[in-house]
Amino acid sequence: MTAYNAFTQEWMDAWKEKINSSKEYKEIAKEWEGSVSITVNADPSRNLPETVYMFTDYWHGDALEFLICDAAKAQTAKFIMTGDYARWKQVAKKELDPTKALMQGKLKLKGDLTYVVRMVKTINKVVDLLTEVETIFPDGD
Amino acid sequence: MAYNQDLSFVYFGPTKIIFGNGSSTSELDSEVSAMGCSRAVVVTDPGIIKAGLLDKITKSLGGKCVGVFSDVPQDSGLDVIDRAAAFAREKGADIIISVGGGSAIDTAKGMCILLTEGGSLADFEGIQQLTRLQTPHIVIPTTAGTGSEVTWIAVVYDKSKGQKRLIVETYNAPRVAILDPTLTAKLPPLLTASTGMDALTHAVEAISDVDHEPIADALGLHAIRLLNKYLPTCIKNGSDLTARGQVQIAATMAGWAFGNSMVGLVHAMAHSIGAVAHVPHGVANGILLPHCMEFNLPDAEDYYAEIAQAMGVYEKGSTTKQAAETAVKAVFDFSKKIGHPQKLSEFGVTEEDIIKAADMSMSDGAIVCNVRLVEDSSEVLAIYRKAL
Repeated sequence: MTAYNAFTQEWMDAWKEKINSSKEYKEIAKEWEGSVSITVNADPSRNLPETVYMFTDYWHGDALEFLICDAAKAQTAKFIMTGDYARWKQVAKKELDPTKALMQGKLKLKGDLTYVVRMVKTINKVVDLLTEVETIFPDGD
Repeated sequence: MAYNQDLSFVYFGPTKIIFGNGSSTSELDSEVSAMGCSRAVVVTDPGIIKAGLLDKITKSLGGKCVGVFSDVPQDSGLDVIDRAAAFAREKGADIIISVGGGSAIDTAKGMCILLTEGGSLADFEGIQQLTRLQTPHIVIPTTAGTGSEVTWIAVVYDKSKGQKRLIVETYNAPRVAILDPTLTAKLPPLLTASTGMDALTHAVEAISDVDHEPIADALGLHAIRLLNKYLPTCIKNGSDLTARGQVQIAATMAGWAFGNSMVGLVHAMAHSIGAVAHVPHGVANGILLPHCMEFNLPDAEDYYAEIAQAMGVYEKGSTTKQAAETAVKAVFDFSKKIGHPQKLSEFGVTEEDIIKAADMSMSDGAIVCNVRLVEDSSEVLAIYRKAL
């Protein structure tokens, strides 16, 4: 399996491909409409010198735009999720449940919580598919 | 209660507790000064003023009380909080003191955010967005049930959506809670029962939620013991300050428990029927709790068996399943024993209301933490029908 460097366009393309080829995702996410941006706070001590902004867009079971972007583009998303690098790494390695992380303040969410709750299965599936992407993290392993 | 090697949790309980008869007047001024504050706005509701509970409290603050906002309704909303924050800003408040039940406390929590961050509460849609401590907040509960005095969660009505919204911000936990049993001595039996059932619901849901953990479990189970022992006494003799005090402590312990483990289906349904048909929160929780326990039973036997022990109904030699069933029956019986309402229809709820509320419950934040996965709104509707 090809391994990708985390938080690169190639890594995002691989994630998008996983989503679009999942029949299960298509069924679960058939009502999801809208974009989610992910902000990974810089952590120079872990070889992530700059904050990374990612924009992901979804519509009725399809993944659309998946881009490394700038802060301004990230702010346009319907939902904005923010967290430290170490937390996102735990999520990507399936060591941290994103719902629990939100409740405990390990990740932050701006956007309509009621919509997210209704679609929690979709979110969990997107994260599950991310964990299937072979990833090389900035600080190794 | 079984835990496995994957157990991982964060327990957070930063609120200082002061307990004792008369503490709401003897300790308040010192606590305000200790935080370096000198301009307090008190937030309350008209019922508290009418009951004569506020005067002594504001007087104890002397010149530090710069204003009283008393326009808090039963289910406070974003608009109320925006108005209250504007009032506090105009008064130059550096600390908020809430005196009342959940609605006054949650209004104050919203105000604390706006005083620190500015803007309207409608701008803070999301979860855990704050990155610094908010305006200091001292809570003086006048009921024993909400637990909001020690949580960083506020529930406010969003008129634009016709739904209650959860505001979850760890940086917004109250700094101090002053539990003064004398303030609850005149609560009428129905309000005593419904707020007590609210506390029981917090404890039961905290113990059985997907993220339950040993500290919250211990707090929840002891809260159940105290409620089981002292709440009936409070109903029979409201002026028994020993019983009143123990029920206040139980409510606070249950607040810590659910603040960490979260609540579940009962709350999702109570928030929704509250938004749709304005059933008071404690009443809705109290009516729905045993019905939701029945629904959750297949996935909650271990937890409910512990509840049977805490309620003193466990029979030696029972299987876990039998003990869990006994706990559900005990909660039904307890609710009847304390004279709590049994049906939502007693509050004018209709079939049309529960259909709307069942759908709304599926988007309430509490539902994701429920011990049993709720697949769709038809399951919720079936529970509402049993409680109608």
